[in-house]
Amino acid sequence: MQAIFISYDQAHHQNIIEILDKCSCRGFTAFGNVQGRGSVKGEPHYGSHAWPSLAQAMFTFVEDDRVEKLLNALKELDESKPKLGLRAFVWPITHTI
Amino acid sequence: MSLYGSAVKRPIMTTLCFVTVIILGLFSLVKLPIDLYPDIDTNSIMVITMYPGASAKDIEQNVTKPLENSLNSVEHLKHINSTSRENTSVITLEFEYGYDIDVLTNDVRDKLDMVKSVLPDDAENPIIFKFSTDMIPICLLSVEANESMSGLYKILDDAVANPLARVDGVGSVSISGAPKREIHVYVDPAKLEAYNLSVEAISSVIAAENRNVPGGSFDIGSNTYALRVQGEFDDSSQLASLPVASVDGRTIFLRDVARVEDSLEERTQQTYINGNQGAMIIIQKQSGANSVEISNKVMKMLPTLEKNLPSDVKIGVIVDTSDNIRNTIASLVETVLYALLFVMIVVFFFLGRWRATLIIVITIPVSLIASFIYLFATGNSLNIVSLSALSISIGMVVDDAIVVLENVTTHIERGADPKQAAVHGTNEVAISVIASTLTLIAVFFPLTLVTGMTGVLFRQLGWMVTIMMIISTTCALTLTPMLCSQWLRLRNKNSKGMLWYRPIEKALDKFDDGYAWLLQKVVTNKTVTIIICLGIFVGSCFLMKHVGTEFFPTQDDGRLGVNLELPIGSRVEEAEASMARLDTMWRRKYPEIKVQSYTVGPASSDNTYASLSDNGAHIISMNITLTDPGERDRKITEIADLMRKDLENDFPEFKKAQVMVGGRQGGGMGGQSTVDFEVYGYDFDSTDKVARDLAEVLKGINGTADVIISRSDYQPEYQVDFDREKLAMHGISLQTAAFYLRNRINGSTASQFREDGEEYDIKVMYSPDKRTQISDIENITIYTNRGQGVKLKELGTVVERYTPPTIERKDRERLVTVSAVVDGVPMSQVVADAEAQMNSIDMPPGVTIQIAGSFEDQQDSFSDLLMLGLLIIILVYIVMAAQFESLTYPGIIMTSLLFAFSGVFLILYLTGHTLNIMSMIGAIMLIGIVVKNGIVLIDYITLNRERGMGIRTAVVDGGRSRLRPVVMTTLTTILGMVPMAVGSGQGSEMWRPMGVAVIGGLTFSTILTLLFVPTLYCVFAGRGVKNTRKKLRKKLLASKKA
Repeated sequence: MQAIFISYDQAHHQNIIEILDKCSCRGFTAFGNVQGRGSVKGEPHYGSHAWPSLAQAMFTFVEDDRVEKLLNALKELDESKPKLGLRAFVWPITHTI
Repeated sequence: MSLYGSAVKRPIMTTLCFVTVIILGLFSLVKLPIDLYPDIDTNSIMVITMYPGASAKDIEQNVTKPLENSLNSVEHLKHINSTSRENTSVITLEFEYGYDIDVLTNDVRDKLDMVKSVLPDDAENPIIFKFSTDMIPICLLSVEANESMSGLYKILDDAVANPLARVDGVGSVSISGAPKREIHVYVDPAKLEAYNLSVEAISSVIAAENRNVPGGSFDIGSNTYALRVQGEFDDSSQLASLPVASVDGRTIFLRDVARVEDSLEERTQQTYINGNQGAMIIIQKQSGANSVEISNKVMKMLPTLEKNLPSDVKIGVIVDTSDNIRNTIASLVETVLYALLFVMIVVFFFLGRWRATLIIVITIPVSLIASFIYLFATGNSLNIVSLSALSISIGMVVDDAIVVLENVTTHIERGADPKQAAVHGTNEVAISVIASTLTLIAVFFPLTLVTGMTGVLFRQLGWMVTIMMIISTTCALTLTPMLCSQWLRLRNKNSKGMLWYRPIEKALDKFDDGYAWLLQKVVTNKTVTIIICLGIFVGSCFLMKHVGTEFFPTQDDGRLGVNLELPIGSRVEEAEASMARLDTMWRRKYPEIKVQSYTVGPASSDNTYASLSDNGAHIISMNITLTDPGERDRKITEIADLMRKDLENDFPEFKKAQVMVGGRQGGGMGGQSTVDFEVYGYDFDSTDKVARDLAEVLKGINGTADVIISRSDYQPEYQVDFDREKLAMHGISLQTAAFYLRNRINGSTASQFREDGEEYDIKVMYSPDKRTQISDIENITIYTNRGQGVKLKELGTVVERYTPPTIERKDRERLVTVSAVVDGVPMSQVVADAEAQMNSIDMPPGVTIQIAGSFEDQQDSFSDLLMLGLLIIILVYIVMAAQFESLTYPGIIMTSLLFAFSGVFLILYLTGHTLNIMSMIGAIMLIGIVVKNGIVLIDYITLNRERGMGIRTAVVDGGRSRLRPVVMTTLTTILGMVPMAVGSGQGSEMWRPMGVAVIGGLTFSTILTLLFVPTLYCVFAGRGVKNTRKKLRKKLLASKKA
């Protein structure tokens, strides 16, 4: 089982839920209205006067065999709308209850 | 969930909510009455007190003064005017606008109760009379007749006036020009004396004979019968055979001493319509009733009524005030529609997408129609003010929607799904949309707080625009995002549909680049820019001197009223002869005249309308209806000028002549303005002299017409001076003697002759040929208690005297008013000229001159509006300071107001308009509109700065990217106003100055704002940066030292 942290422009939210569904990943935890900026050239998402847009973040924990498919789908989404911004980070889960 | 979130999620609910609003609005629209102005409550109360037999001076001293002193303490009183003439005191109380007249009337009644005991014993109880605009007739109908002329009054009364009076909302219907039937008993004084009879004796015989007396009831067998004596005459000819006395056993019949004539009233008003004698029917409405509705009903009834009239009686329309209302409203509706079209074109031009255009344009009908619900709910009408409000708002209600749509489009273009884009895009701009609406509300809401007459007009404007702004913002935050989410798609720039738009887009891009280039130049030469801009502002301030001021623009409603006066005492025949000449001359000379009617002679007492206005044998009033303004080349003021010249050159016999545009004088809205100079002073001679001098001065000033002195001349009359000693010797009281005189000359109403349910006076008096000389009066026989006849000349003498004229007072001081119509030049100029020349008048001690009339109203309103302007500027500043969390930026934005006012003066100067109430309102509206541009610009520049750009780059980049929204919203507002400013329909004179002022101010200020505000921002931001650096350096040094 792997943990995937997805951070994205809030406009992506609906699409990401769809992708999760498509990849048969049911569980997720999303954080609405979070701030952030990309490491290279990503536009800041502060919800402020200067940077009014906001980001969302999501944790989803998926079986190993689905990680690849999910990441591919997310990459495709990101590339289709380069201005919105979407990043995903994966790390292994050692224990769960 | 946020408002826009749920709106986007629930499109059906959102759509239906607005559909409901539209349905309710359309329902209200159908029910809304049409009127010219919002309801203006009356603000005057008249108190009329009769004191028979008292002279003007006695009335002033004993009736008017005590009443004035007591009434002066009624609350909210603005002015107290009075006229004291023989027998009558009329006090007019003028109150501040906006108070309940019924409450004030009660206050007045209380005060009158208190003072009643102080009045002379013979004075009658004061009568309270509420005067209102409702007294102005809404329709004047003309009646032409040939054979039926003698019986016209009865015909009209039965077949026209009574049915019309039954129409819902009609207050009173009066007939003038159709004399009433009257039965005259013309006695021969010589014969009366021979039989030892008197007029009184004959009157009492007639009264005693013309009686029906019930005799009770009596029983015969099993029945009860009523007993009556039926003595009333069936026919007027029976009167002649009435026995009046018995002398030496011979019966004397009325025909032996008198001539009985079944004829018409002796002294009556005569009406001529287009040169033919006829009658006039005057229809007044009930207070609060709707003129247009009533006139519609009246006009609908006329054809049916005409069927019941004899074939020679023709009814026509002289004046139908609702015509003007209907035409004015129609031309304003056209203006609104044009504005809608222009705004649509501008939006389409800038966006290039029909869906986006539709989304934005939809907010216009929604906001506009919703405001009808307010009008309906508050009982208002569709009038000039409410429709102007619509016209003004069209350009502004789209602004919020444009901002929202633009941001949503940006989101979509970045790749967001339309639904998500709609929610997030709206969320980002919601606060600034609300803030910019708040600045506009800060401008329009205070309009609802204005008092006075201007307040009555602008309260509705304030409410309407405020409501429309709130609705449009709600619309922009719900309907617009919802429609965006449904209709907007990511635009494919290479699609075929967009090909035609590419050149426009290129041009717009070039425009942006050009502006950015200019901005770059401007911010590098800050000092030069600021000096040039301020120079332009200061320069335009000098124009202020050349732009005249006036109260309200003169409206061309195609109506002229002419009041003419021959010297006092002229016979009616004189007036008739002059009028016949004038009538034919004008109708030949001015083909624009549609109907021309005039009335000469004294009004009978039962004609409510005529007896309220000035009337007399020497007074002529004339009503002229011209063709519609669109159908003629000459303006109404030009025609009025020519008419004034005609009167001056060809009719020297008229002592006073007034040509009133709009049928009324200086009535504030619509009529030509008047400047009244009030000469205060107690002494008649000195004030008369000053008034005459002043009138000469005014006549010499360019741009005055119809200079009139209010105090009339001393009136010649005959008076009988009774010798009280001689009266006492014969045991006759002065009153008895006076009544003898009156009964013989004026006649005594003996009884009423009844026929077909109508009553006609039977009047006994000397036959006309026996009352033409002074000796006829001297030979009147007065009978003592013992029945002994004494000639009047033995009891007193008949002398010719001049009665002092009516005494007018204002605010408890005597005054004479010299009034002049302002014609062709601004009012301010006439006043300035007059004031300069007034110094040359020799002023006796105790005499002062004050300026009143439209000028006073204008001064009041202008100071009201200036205060309002100040209040609005403060409010707008507060809203902006709160939004920017800064005290400097709002200050910078506010500088654009300077150029707005420059623009207003510049365009008023160039187009030759004056600064009047309407253009002032335009200027006040500008505060909100102009500031909005500044907000958009500064907001984006600060955003750029927050994103880390340097000052100059932030300014140039911000300016470039905000140019289109600024130009677009400005253009929608300007083009929304263009139909108002260039309209030539009926009533357009009223709103043209407002449209012109807004267009001028907005254009000028937008151009300068786009350059000046960024420059000023650079200066202040640069200083801010320097200050911060200085502080940092100090801190650094301090820490180093430590």
